[in-house]
Amino acid sequence: MWKVLVTCAKTNVGRSFRALGTALDWPEAKKRADQVRRWGIEQLLANWRRAKGKERNALLWGDEVEYLVVALDDEAKKARLSLAQAEILKSLAKDEASWKEGNSPLSQNKEHDGEEPPHFHPEFGRFMLEATPGKPWGIDFKDLLKVESNMKWRREVAKAHMAPNEHPITLTTFPRLGTKDDYIQPYYLPSGPALRSQFVPDEIANPHIRFPTLAANIRSRRGRKIELNVPIYKDENTPQPFKDPTVNYDLHDWPEDDDVRNGAAKDDHVYMDAMAFGMGSCCLQITFQAKNMTEGRKLYDQLSPLGPILLALTAATPIYKGFLVDTDVRWNQIGGAVDDRTREELGELPLKNDRWRIPKSRYASNSTYISQDPRLRKEYLDPELIVDEDIKKSLVDGGMDDLLATHFAHLFIRDPLVIFSEDLEELDLNKADHFENLQSTNWQHMRFKPPPPDKDDIGWRVEFRSMEIQMTDFENAAFSIFIVLVTRAILSFDLNFYIPIQRTTENMETAHARNAVLEQKFYFRKDPFSRRRQNPHSSNGSNGSSATSSADNTPPASPSLSPVESEYELMTISDIINGSADGSFPGLIPLVESYLNSVNVDVETRCSLASYLELIRKRANGTLWTGAKWIREFVAAHPGYKQDSVVSEEICYDLITAVDEMTQKEGRHGTVGWELLRGKRN
Amino acid sequence: MKLILSTSNIMISGETVIRHLTEKSNVELINSLRANFQAAQQSAPPKDPTITTTTTTTPYPSWTTLHNDALYIPTTTFTHGLSEDRPQYDITVKLFYLPGIPASRRCAHTREAIDLVLKELHVSSIDLLIVSFPGILFDADDDSEEEEEEEEEEKEEGSSDTGSEEPDDFDSMIQTWRTLEELQSAGMIAQLGVAEFGSERLARFLPHTTVKPSVDQINLKDCCVVPKSLILYARQEKIQLLTHNDCMDVLPVGTTRELLGPGDRGAGILASSPEMQDGVAGDVEPQWVVKYTAVVKDRGVVENKGYFALADVGSCVQERSG
Repeated sequence: MWKVLVTCAKTNVGRSFRALGTALDWPEAKKRADQVRRWGIEQLLANWRRAKGKERNALLWGDEVEYLVVALDDEAKKARLSLAQAEILKSLAKDEASWKEGNSPLSQNKEHDGEEPPHFHPEFGRFMLEATPGKPWGIDFKDLLKVESNMKWRREVAKAHMAPNEHPITLTTFPRLGTKDDYIQPYYLPSGPALRSQFVPDEIANPHIRFPTLAANIRSRRGRKIELNVPIYKDENTPQPFKDPTVNYDLHDWPEDDDVRNGAAKDDHVYMDAMAFGMGSCCLQITFQAKNMTEGRKLYDQLSPLGPILLALTAATPIYKGFLVDTDVRWNQIGGAVDDRTREELGELPLKNDRWRIPKSRYASNSTYISQDPRLRKEYLDPELIVDEDIKKSLVDGGMDDLLATHFAHLFIRDPLVIFSEDLEELDLNKADHFENLQSTNWQHMRFKPPPPDKDDIGWRVEFRSMEIQMTDFENAAFSIFIVLVTRAILSFDLNFYIPIQRTTENMETAHARNAVLEQKFYFRKDPFSRRRQNPHSSNGSNGSSATSSADNTPPASPSLSPVESEYELMTISDIINGSADGSFPGLIPLVESYLNSVNVDVETRCSLASYLELIRKRANGTLWTGAKWIREFVAAHPGYKQDSVVSEEICYDLITAVDEMTQKEGRHGTVGWELLRGKRN
Repeated sequence: MKLILSTSNIMISGETVIRHLTEKSNVELINSLRANFQAAQQSAPPKDPTITTTTTTTPYPSWTTLHNDALYIPTTTFTHGLSEDRPQYDITVKLFYLPGIPASRRCAHTREAIDLVLKELHVSSIDLLIVSFPGILFDADDDSEEEEEEEEEEKEEGSSDTGSEEPDDFDSMIQTWRTLEELQSAGMIAQLGVAEFGSERLARFLPHTTVKPSVDQINLKDCCVVPKSLILYARQEKIQLLTHNDCMDVLPVGTTRELLGPGDRGAGILASSPEMQDGVAGDVEPQWVVKYTAVVKDRGVVENKGYFALADVGSCVQERSG
């Protein structure tokens, strides 16, 4: 059940591990796309009718932590990605089974007595693992105390099922993925039929038929290979202009090998050409169960403007393919790595065969607000939102309100990428497989999840997806719990973070800049408080909203009349998180503190929460470094670094070793990483 | 005459509960009272144009209600209960007995305060009542020297406000506790709690109780410096240590006068001077403050939080103790 609650975020494998079917190649899949969409919409409507009245679901939430499996070769001083996912998962599954019989060595760990064993899941990369808690967390504050120790336990359990020299590392990306050397073990040559990448082999991806098909169909739909160009970080000795020296212009295995000869690799950029460069990234995602659909829709809207802020605050991705780059986060690289848009959809060719120009990748910031909230002004919506009007009409005809119908009709402008022919024989309205085919390959930074049709005890859920994984479990717990507390503050104070959704899209771009957390400003709403909607004390018994009648002495300006542009401004992340110095913006942390002061929290919990909030407060004001900054400084200070942007095998080995040490010692007593965890050496 | 001050649900107006680091911790109460007064004034019916007045304040009779010799500021209709069934909520009430008010009045004060909360939330019982006795600080032996000094300073600060700060005597605390135990056995309160008790005071207190406090609420200025002895003792006695950040003297006389008085910052309830007929005449003396919160249990959402405060006013305010 839990797996269904959090669902595997990026690639939806968790639910889909099934008897192998026949996955359709792109030309075939394209022919069946309409059918899948139509059936998906019918399943959605059936499910929506069943579930729209679900009420009083408790807050349950879950975090997902993703790991790279890195093998350290201490003799050769090399760190390599280990493609051991399948073996590790098999061993973990065996252990989970014996756990249930009560004779697993894991169940001997007294500290976790009474806790469900964690769950592990495959991910796109064969060097990745994903772990979720054994059962969802509640809001009992004692539960919040267990999150960090559970994350540590997950890491321990994962480690126990690896070879002695393998380590679960929570870096977003492996610094030398796609280089010329043997950065994977076992080693495979690049240039396989599915990815057709000159940097990574097909074997880099999970061999389950879904993944090679997904990668191949994205490439095939696009009409060319994935094309990622990340600006190089220009150091003193970086060649000017920088021409990615790892690009091979003389390869002739596949038609796509022409891409680089036609200018795919840009000057001053690191060039990458496969889905694995994006989908091989690790993220920290949080899923919440809402009380009912209305609350879920509200949380979806209110958390959306926080996405870019938390992305910049968790920045941890300064290296790609062995080079320091000039961006700090993974987001756009994943967006580009699964971008299946054709040249027509991208606007590079006039529309002839395709239906729309589409401004964003399937993996991008979200473009809709869905709450039936009187505070949602139509000016906040994207006027250029692409919507499949036929699908919207069937949803509206089926009884769905305009806002929600628009949301799903927007998601359904995409094609389904992986279709199994066996699934097209009969439509089952008690399932959600066709709906999920589209829903879960729309990787937006927020996701609104209807209850699974076959699970009566699960309600409407919202997933917050923008955060980067952090190197230590302390940080991952801190950010997870912070977001949970923010949702409680949003609901308790009825906070309003609405800004025009295009500003959130711009913020998402802004978050990519190097050191954006301190050097950039982000659009944010100036006043998060809702006006008093009614005044039960009014002696004339008025039921509200007339508080601004002209007869008053000092009528407050009605916020509904002011132009939308006056409602928000550019703010620093420190102001957004900690509050502005002049007190005009309260700050997310003070809001959370006020929430905590309004509930009964025991001393021990409050102290842990204080240390988590302290981390976030100090990240925002620059006292503590982001992961990205720490990695940059580590490379810069390394004796093997030549100020030429190159992160060599030796530096990579030392970096991974340091990160592994950091997850154990967490920067205590001046150990490695104190600059991003503690801010002082002792 | 009694003045019954109320904030209504402060979660709705939000901004009054955000405290900036420089501000005193009773700012939530004061700001939300002020905000609620202003909101009531603004939605009061327009002034009678035949009445000419130099003040810009809305005359208080239009937004307050006099009932049984109690002036409700503002008018409180008690029309909004909780939105879900009672079992969904955890209702916590904290009652502040104010400094200088004789302990003999606490029995009546407690009932008065609880009744108002029950009426406001439309419920028949509360889950936890925490009482805060005036002038209590952590037992000295529990704290480091440094903290003792801080407390001394705070004590002085407090006493400068009221001029009557003194530790509550032990017997009257026991006396008060009897009242609470009665309310508990009558089913009105599920659990009882105290605030700011150190381990020594707890150890002295417990033998005198029939119903043990299940909660001891302490103010953590700098988190994680809870005396070990208190942690151990609380664990042994199965008393939960909870945190709060209320201040010791939540509603000083001076503040009350400013809040209700004439002038820019006041609500225009009190007369501007003894001779003037522009408001309620006499001295004002706050008696107690009660804070209530209703939290939806399994979602951790604070649905309703507010305060009531009661002050006596008149020319013959009862004798203060001491």
